[in-house]
Amino acid sequence: MEHGKQSFVSRYIFSFDHKMIGKQYFTLAMTMGFIGGILAVLIRLQLGFPSKPWPFLENLFPVGMASGIMTPEFYVSLFTMHGTIMVFFLLSLLPVSGFGNFLIPLQIGARDMAFPFLNMLSFWTVVPGAIIIIISFFVEGGAAASGWTAYPPLSAIRSAIPGSDLGQTLWLVGMIFFVASFTMGGLNFVVTILNLRTRGLRMMRMPLTTWAQFVVGILGLLSFPALAAGALLLTFDRSLGTSFFLPAGIFIGDTLMPHEGGTPLLWQHLFWFLGHPEVYIIMLPAMGFTSDILATFCRRPIFGYRSMVYAIGAIGTLSFLVWGHHMFVSGMSPFLGSLFVVTTLAIAIPSAVKAFNWLFTIARARIQFTSASLFGLGVVSLFVTGGLTGIFLGTNAVDIQLHDTYFVVGHFHFIMAGAGLFGAFGAVYYWYPKMFGRMLSERLGKIHFWITFVAYYAVFFPMHYLGVSGMMRRIYDPNVYEYLQPLQPVNLFITIAAFVLFAGQLIFIYNYFASMARGKPATENPWNAAGLEWSTPPHPGHGNWEGEIPDAHRWPYDYSEPGKKRDFTPQWEA
Amino acid sequence: MADEPKGSRGSLQGIAMAVVIWAIVVLSSLFYVRYGVPELASDRGYLDSLYYVILGITGAAYILYQLALGYVIYRYRGDRPGATSSHWHESHKLELTWTIGTAAILIPIVFTGLIYWDRVRGPAPDDAVTVMAVGAQFQWDFHYPGADGEFGRFDPTLYAIDNQIGLDEGDAAAADDWVLTNQLVLPVNRPARILMRSKDVQHALFLPNFRVKQDLVPGMTTEVWFTPVKTGSYEVACAELCGLGHYRMRAFLEVMEEADYRQWLNDNAPAAVADAAPPADSPPVSAE
Repeated sequence: MEHGKQSFVSRYIFSFDHKMIGKQYFTLAMTMGFIGGILAVLIRLQLGFPSKPWPFLENLFPVGMASGIMTPEFYVSLFTMHGTIMVFFLLSLLPVSGFGNFLIPLQIGARDMAFPFLNMLSFWTVVPGAIIIIISFFVEGGAAASGWTAYPPLSAIRSAIPGSDLGQTLWLVGMIFFVASFTMGGLNFVVTILNLRTRGLRMMRMPLTTWAQFVVGILGLLSFPALAAGALLLTFDRSLGTSFFLPAGIFIGDTLMPHEGGTPLLWQHLFWFLGHPEVYIIMLPAMGFTSDILATFCRRPIFGYRSMVYAIGAIGTLSFLVWGHHMFVSGMSPFLGSLFVVTTLAIAIPSAVKAFNWLFTIARARIQFTSASLFGLGVVSLFVTGGLTGIFLGTNAVDIQLHDTYFVVGHFHFIMAGAGLFGAFGAVYYWYPKMFGRMLSERLGKIHFWITFVAYYAVFFPMHYLGVSGMMRRIYDPNVYEYLQPLQPVNLFITIAAFVLFAGQLIFIYNYFASMARGKPATENPWNAAGLEWSTPPHPGHGNWEGEIPDAHRWPYDYSEPGKKRDFTPQWEA
Repeated sequence: MADEPKGSRGSLQGIAMAVVIWAIVVLSSLFYVRYGVPELASDRGYLDSLYYVILGITGAAYILYQLALGYVIYRYRGDRPGATSSHWHESHKLELTWTIGTAAILIPIVFTGLIYWDRVRGPAPDDAVTVMAVGAQFQWDFHYPGADGEFGRFDPTLYAIDNQIGLDEGDAAAADDWVLTNQLVLPVNRPARILMRSKDVQHALFLPNFRVKQDLVPGMTTEVWFTPVKTGSYEVACAELCGLGHYRMRAFLEVMEEADYRQWLNDNAPAAVADAAPPADSPPVSAE
């Protein structure tokens, strides 16, 4: 592919190259994830040592931790922004925007995404969103403080909580930028996958990663506009005096609000119409990465490829029909609640298909234990743990007691955050050689895996104990309640494990940046993998392939074919 | 094979992975047993039974799957003697088995859940004691309708320090109404119907010992009903983020013997005494 000489700016900043854009997303997502992690550490600091003074922290947060003690409003801002940053700016940006952009053209045999300019625009639209979200910590009243779900009236009325002043406005503006960016990305994914596949690459020969990104693109396109609409209407309620989400008779701070005619439930429906597909937007790519990674390192074809594709499709479709399970006790019609139980538990079926197919991919394998495959195996374990606890919460009769408790926090940190994060880590270890032409340190990678895996279970499994015992989410100090006081040792244990978990991630960050310069130079196909992306040069340039784009002669999982000399047959070999 | 990634063979990673997964399964399950739901004080024990049934099923699935995962990782690790891997990647029989198997396990859970949900969310019995819970940042007010069984009208313009629920004293039905702050008193073994409204933001009435949780939504009246079956004092929590004082929006629920309840009403709200025990032969009081 011909193109002119590139200046620094057109190469590294306003790049059209999908790989550079993917790497830009990585950098942004990892920065945001690091900040989100610090917020988590602060949250756990308060829960492990309620209201204990930490004088040195006053220097960092003169208002939120005046005289070293965390204020309740700062605590609320912390978990609000932790959720927002992690869900949107780490777990959506890294696996979807980052890996989607980086991998789709490589895996389908395309020179670039269908709309390179849109791709660049999409990245540079999310950057201001991220900056606005971070800035919101430093404005009067602090960052948004109505939870990542931003339920009105708390999020709609400025006097309801300090963070609902400027902080919430910035949150909404940041989210609108995010949605705009993500929608552009989704469109690009779908168009690229449908139109730019190389010769021979039928849909049913695509790697499961690309299948997942394809479905994710559709999910994003259809669900994120609901959040954009909601955020816009909420902005109107806050600034223009409309009443989409606000009924008559709201009385806050000795003032009767002038609103009338709206309902807060409308926001919940709009939010969760996005919010539920969103968790699968996070999950599906992780499932795809895991399938590709396991096949490569088990030296086996992925078991049940066809049903894996159908499962991705079924999960994607069902994800639009389950949002009401977040609203069983919200005041929504109980009859509607019953419908959502059926659709919600139906998702367990394609999920079980995935879990068993992975198990049977590992069985009869010859597993190579690399950092990537360890994280892939970790995904399988976390996915099953988190998936099973979903059955409690999806059954509305049982959800009554567990709703809004730490059981929910434990559940989604396994299934969505955990499997999503482990999938992304596995993917970084696996595809890093294509990203930077160098290998990550396997030794550091394995240390990172072991700390992360053990600490992850130690942090999030005991949260189920807390939830079953009745500890609510989002409370600043559980010891206010007598019945929660005996749980303090569990909270302390979780806090210590969370510190270890956070520290373990520093190893990854070091490995990621240090290996760019000092990593062992990668060969073209360091893992002997069969996917099309491994036919590119070690550090592919703009256009990906120097000569012709190879044809796809087979599916990407031809490992250990009987009678073959090698234990894999690349997709591009006839 | 010579061209395999370095360090991926001859390592202890596979054995370690299996052992760690097994250890996690054993420890997490052993500790799980130590934490149960809070002591039950309502008639909603069947919700607990369903919880324990699901715990049994998912617990078994969790243990079996993770043990199997650990086993296949150990058994098929690349450095075992004579390691080979198989190209086998399809079995309609197996795939059909686990698809149908999962569905077969889920269907009874779904239906039991729906039946229980219907029981919980069905209409309250006519002899229920009716109370209106009014949530505000960060306090609970419990509004009793008094002898007439009818709540006096409320008007948001009347909210004041000495009229937390905005009761319109001019309304005839309001004459015998009375309000308790952060305290709810109910008789034992009689259904209690709690209506709910919020003055400001969303809250959720959470009675951990009674398996009751329901959001309070501004602009709507929501409701639950249940029957306390054990006397005593229980904590009432807010379970929906409602502001910086969310964590301390706490109240108490006192469940009393019928006779004590009547005595307590006599002492505290004489006008409301008739509400304590409607005569069995008179038409039940309706709080519509």
